[in-house]
Amino acid sequence: MSKVILVGSPNSGKSMLFNRLTGLNQKVANFPGITVDVGTGRIQAMPERTLMDFPGTYSLQPISAEEKLAVGYFERALQDPEVDHVLCVIDATRLEKSLLFTLQVIRDCQRFGKPVTVLANMIDVLDNHGLELDVDGLAQTLQTPVVPLSGRSGKGVDELLASLRNPVMPDTNGAFANAPDALLRGEAHALSRRFGPGGELLVRGQARLDSFFLHSVTGGISFFLIMYLLFQSIFTWAAPVMDAVESSLGWMADALVPLLGNQVARDFTADALFGGVGAFLVFVPQIFVLTFIIGLLEDSGYMARAALICHKPLRLFGLTGKSFIPMLSGVACAIPAIYAARAIDSPRKRLLTYMAIPLMPCSARLPVYTLLIAAFIPAETALGGLIGWQGLAMFGIYFFGMFIGLLIAGLVSRTAEDRYTDLPFVLELPPYRMPGFKPLLRNAWNRSRHFVTKAGKVIFAVTMLIWILGYFPNYGADLGESWLGQVGHWVEPLFRPLGLDWRYGVAIFTSFAAREVFVGTLGTIFGIEGADENMVPLVDHIHASGLALGSGLALLVFFAISLQCVSTLAILAKESQSRSLTLKMFIGYFLLAYVAAVAVYQLTNALVA
Amino acid sequence: MTAQQTLWSLKAGERCEIIGYDTTLAEAYRIRLMEFGFHPGERVTCLQAPAFGAPKVYQVSATVFSLDDDVAAYVQVRLEPRDA
Repeated sequence: MSKVILVGSPNSGKSMLFNRLTGLNQKVANFPGITVDVGTGRIQAMPERTLMDFPGTYSLQPISAEEKLAVGYFERALQDPEVDHVLCVIDATRLEKSLLFTLQVIRDCQRFGKPVTVLANMIDVLDNHGLELDVDGLAQTLQTPVVPLSGRSGKGVDELLASLRNPVMPDTNGAFANAPDALLRGEAHALSRRFGPGGELLVRGQARLDSFFLHSVTGGISFFLIMYLLFQSIFTWAAPVMDAVESSLGWMADALVPLLGNQVARDFTADALFGGVGAFLVFVPQIFVLTFIIGLLEDSGYMARAALICHKPLRLFGLTGKSFIPMLSGVACAIPAIYAARAIDSPRKRLLTYMAIPLMPCSARLPVYTLLIAAFIPAETALGGLIGWQGLAMFGIYFFGMFIGLLIAGLVSRTAEDRYTDLPFVLELPPYRMPGFKPLLRNAWNRSRHFVTKAGKVIFAVTMLIWILGYFPNYGADLGESWLGQVGHWVEPLFRPLGLDWRYGVAIFTSFAAREVFVGTLGTIFGIEGADENMVPLVDHIHASGLALGSGLALLVFFAISLQCVSTLAILAKESQSRSLTLKMFIGYFLLAYVAAVAVYQLTNALVA
Repeated sequence: MTAQQTLWSLKAGERCEIIGYDTTLAEAYRIRLMEFGFHPGERVTCLQAPAFGAPKVYQVSATVFSLDDDVAAYVQVRLEPRDA
């Protein structure tokens, strides 16, 4: 099967064209090293040919490790005999930005004898503004066919397919075959002046909107409103679908479990399959909604403006403005947040963002915080009801997690070896445009599916392990007598410096699958049904168990820092392509959480005494 | 003698001509700036200079970029009169 490769600079409309040609049959593949996605799909009009969508890059002279990987893959593709055509997409509205890369591609294709067609995308935008691109002049100078088209409307796609059917073989001694990059830079500048549409019509419209969205006052207000809507989408709009998934799983469990004859099979299906693995499926709607909304902000052009607004404060902690959305998403759930960090082009800053995300106070911490605060902080108010101590404690622990996350990013950025390439903050502000809803829905669907298929395997394995340890050898009769209970007794000395006995040790151990499991496990140990829904009896049992205030505060601090989430670890390992980093973060955050918790316990005891 | 003006010193609405780069700017960054169109001789307009030292917004050719001071302060420019 022959391959056609699609290359172009970022924001040239390449992916939309890919989807139009393949009918959205995109398959995303991760390549080793740093995450680079190459979409592949069959060209609908030519099913015998595969189209490969390469990551966008501004130049074939890379300055970051990620760019090196993308460029290296392009160079290998040129030597692949199955690759028989290169399609190079340029943004017809901003010719100079795309032309250097195009000239480099033409040069390399001339060297390797691969036919190349230049696709002048977004021609409809020029038409709408009465602007023109000198297509014939450009094609003659580039010694390459140039097809004006619109990935959005489909105009020019037939001419593109004709070009694929009748390729023009390049002259291996062509005008650019031996041109150095320095010469091509000057050439790109001159060609854009000579053949480009000229005029500042498009930029003027953009500047008017920017003067609103980047204004000190209106920009700040609109930023907070948009972020508020983003939060609403995560917490409120996804909630009914999450509830529906949870109810459906419960209904399926109720229908299926009684049909099973064997008690072990019934317990396994109810507790491990539906209770354990099902619990992570509940997050899928949240990932779908968040991916869709973030895509909407990116596609409209607003995301680049949001990154600009947040850049300065985050720079203090070694991060970039582009870290803001992933960190904000992390307040709901670290999984979509880690996915969102893909948008950060600097590998070093993406790494720092990965380090900060697990410390954002995610929704899985909420049940743990609620339980511990209800158990240890009095439900009293001050200043005539203006301040509630429990609310203040919740705010404090949320802020504490965020602060520690930023602090760690700041410290690592100042001390870590410079193994990951840094990039300066140079951000192209794309024109504002109406988002394409179909590709965004498709992207959200792909991301949700990726979460289920990739993280699901790890989550399944860990859930099974915890279930087996908790079920045997007494077939679920008494958790305290199970292997898991024995583990609790083994780990008890570890948690004794926090004033915790084996029961809390077991609950902490199981919470490494997911933090919220802590509450359910304590409920099981104390023999309370439905502790997740109604915490009052559990709070009473915690008081009766003699747990001290210092231990409660130590647990709060421990949960604020420790990275107890199998799903997050699985996605982190996949996205960072580094199991070593994931392991270091897991161990590092556990040790930090432990030391901080012991310090809080000792300090509280000293103060109370 | 006045201090060398840089892209970062531009206020919103001001226009300049790029005359060179500070020699301490890393070559990779200089090349990337040139790939974006920030060539010596090119005219650049500062479209936005947001408050609190946030990155500034510049128009070069038909493209708009936001640059922070870690790059813009290394691009040497000659300011053009407002009515130029």
